[in-house]
Amino acid sequence: MRSSLQTNGGIMKNVVLSRIDDRLLHGQVVVSWIPYIKANEVVIVDNEYAEDEFMSELIKHAAPENIKVNLFSVAGAADYLKGSDDGSRILILSRCIENINELINQNVEIKCVNVGGLGNVKGRERYLNSIHLSSQEIEILKSIAKKNIAVDIKMLPNDKAVSVE
Amino acid sequence: MTAFNFILISILYFWASSTALSLGIGYYTVYRPVVSGFMTGLILGDPFLGMAAGAVVNVIYMNFVSTGGSFKGDQCLTAVIAASAAILLGLGPVEASAFAYPFGYLGILIWKYRLNINHIFVNKYEKSYEEGKNPDISLYDGLYPQLLLYLMSSFVVGAAFLIMSLFDNMIVEYYENIKIFLFMAGMFLVSYSVISILANLKNKYAYISFGLFFLAVIIFNIGSYWFLAAAAIILFALSNKNFRMDNKRSNKNNNINKKDLMYAWFIWMNFSHSCYSYDRLQGLAFAHSMKNIFKKLYNEKNEVSRAIHRHTEFFNTEPNMGTPIHGYIISVEEQASLNANDTDTAYIKKGMMGIAAGLGDSYTQVVLTPLFISLSVMMCVDGIYTAAFLPILYLAGSILFISYSGWMNGYYSGREYLLERINTVKNSKIKKHFPHIFSGILGVAVAKLILTSLESTNTVYTLSSVVLSAAAYWVIKRSKR
Repeated sequence: MRSSLQTNGGIMKNVVLSRIDDRLLHGQVVVSWIPYIKANEVVIVDNEYAEDEFMSELIKHAAPENIKVNLFSVAGAADYLKGSDDGSRILILSRCIENINELINQNVEIKCVNVGGLGNVKGRERYLNSIHLSSQEIEILKSIAKKNIAVDIKMLPNDKAVSVE
Repeated sequence: MTAFNFILISILYFWASSTALSLGIGYYTVYRPVVSGFMTGLILGDPFLGMAAGAVVNVIYMNFVSTGGSFKGDQCLTAVIAASAAILLGLGPVEASAFAYPFGYLGILIWKYRLNINHIFVNKYEKSYEEGKNPDISLYDGLYPQLLLYLMSSFVVGAAFLIMSLFDNMIVEYYENIKIFLFMAGMFLVSYSVISILANLKNKYAYISFGLFFLAVIIFNIGSYWFLAAAAIILFALSNKNFRMDNKRSNKNNNINKKDLMYAWFIWMNFSHSCYSYDRLQGLAFAHSMKNIFKKLYNEKNEVSRAIHRHTEFFNTEPNMGTPIHGYIISVEEQASLNANDTDTAYIKKGMMGIAAGLGDSYTQVVLTPLFISLSVMMCVDGIYTAAFLPILYLAGSILFISYSGWMNGYYSGREYLLERINTVKNSKIKKHFPHIFSGILGVAVAKLILTSLESTNTVYTLSSVVLSAAAYWVIKRSKR
């Protein structure tokens, strides 16, 4: 049913999952999530890192075999993801819920938001294991869930998912 | 068993499972059943029988990785109980492992609650800091959590030995009758573990390699020292000579000398998982390792305390592969203190730690550890115990080198060193050929185990255990779909 979301005459890129995680492309993601959702492309959405030459290079170097890794600012990611579908299965990674929300607001097609490791910084409270959320972040997640986008809070694919309340 | 034996064993179990206070290599050595079995044996008077039992337990836990996957029980407690059962009750190594297996689940209680419990010390540290008391990080990251862990560990060991004592008489009296069931259960666990390892390697040559080596040993009964020598030559040929040590000093104005760096590294290696908690993971440990550095960079107590506190935030990486981060952060902090400006190291740390973690775990835990531990197990099941220490010493040395060189190079060469490290690991030939070498070693080890057990039992029992475990694997795999 994706035909309703066409832009530029083509079908938008296929985003299989978007994950919010402080550590971006780390062990759990590489070992568990990528094989689980059969992703072959990772799009990292991060305004700070996109501008940092060293970090961009580091992230791209760390890409697992046969996985394409791209790093964009939020605006860049929105443009890229609205480009035409080339058959790749994309995993979006970001450190901030706000970034994913912004992509959704810019009409990037996201079906599922997974919240994984988020550290304990000021304003955040522990939600589940290593996942900490502030009240504002919970509000954003609720608003995303209202748009019929699945919001799962869990570290690993086989963990029991907790939804936002 | 005397009270003195018990105290020593509880200290051993605490030391091994804490993975702290062992220069970061405890997790790769004393925590592994083959070594903890040996040490339990040392305490109870028969080190090599303990090691033989530990080796069988180690096969059952060969595919253990701390970053998730199937977490069975606690391998270290299983080994301690298996070695004790072999020595005190006269069980064979395979039988002792089967008997000890359920005790492993008692051990994971600690692992499960450790991350929650350590939260107490994080909170206490934060409270003390907020009250302006300049808390000593080494107490909250080191002493307190380790003391609590010691109490918990000796409680668990005590409970395990208490349960074990309930079975003492029964086992000694009826051993001849139950021996065969314990043997079959042990072989079942071994065989199940090997089947799942081979299946998870997802490499068809791994099956071939396993089969070839297994048959060669079964038919010709070749001595395992030949395989150890062959593995040593192959691994040396494939090894990375690129892990370099580069201590050229850049011409920056250095306050920090090599001794300070070494001391900070020493603290990190001993305490990286000492106060491992859900909300900070290794955060307190990172700050702890910076203590002596900040003491040198700042004169005023409050400033030192504030700088340490800045680094207690959430941090998690592979503790050995990730050390260029620490070295680099030290150099950044040094520059910041000289120029009297504030730096945002949090952002750099976070970016680097995840990448080093993914890279590190896929190398140290997934490749190096099973490779060298399986070599050691292979020697043990063949009864050549002294040579079984060589692979473990080599593994410990490699881990120390990876960690130390990362720390120093991170400081002297900067963050680009992490890039270099990524490429070295990515192009590692050992990593590439790991499935073939590892499955070959497993083939030898399993064949030796079967040959030894044939001296006392019938082939039919071994074969039926293998068939049963294959069937069980198939059923479990299907039900997970």
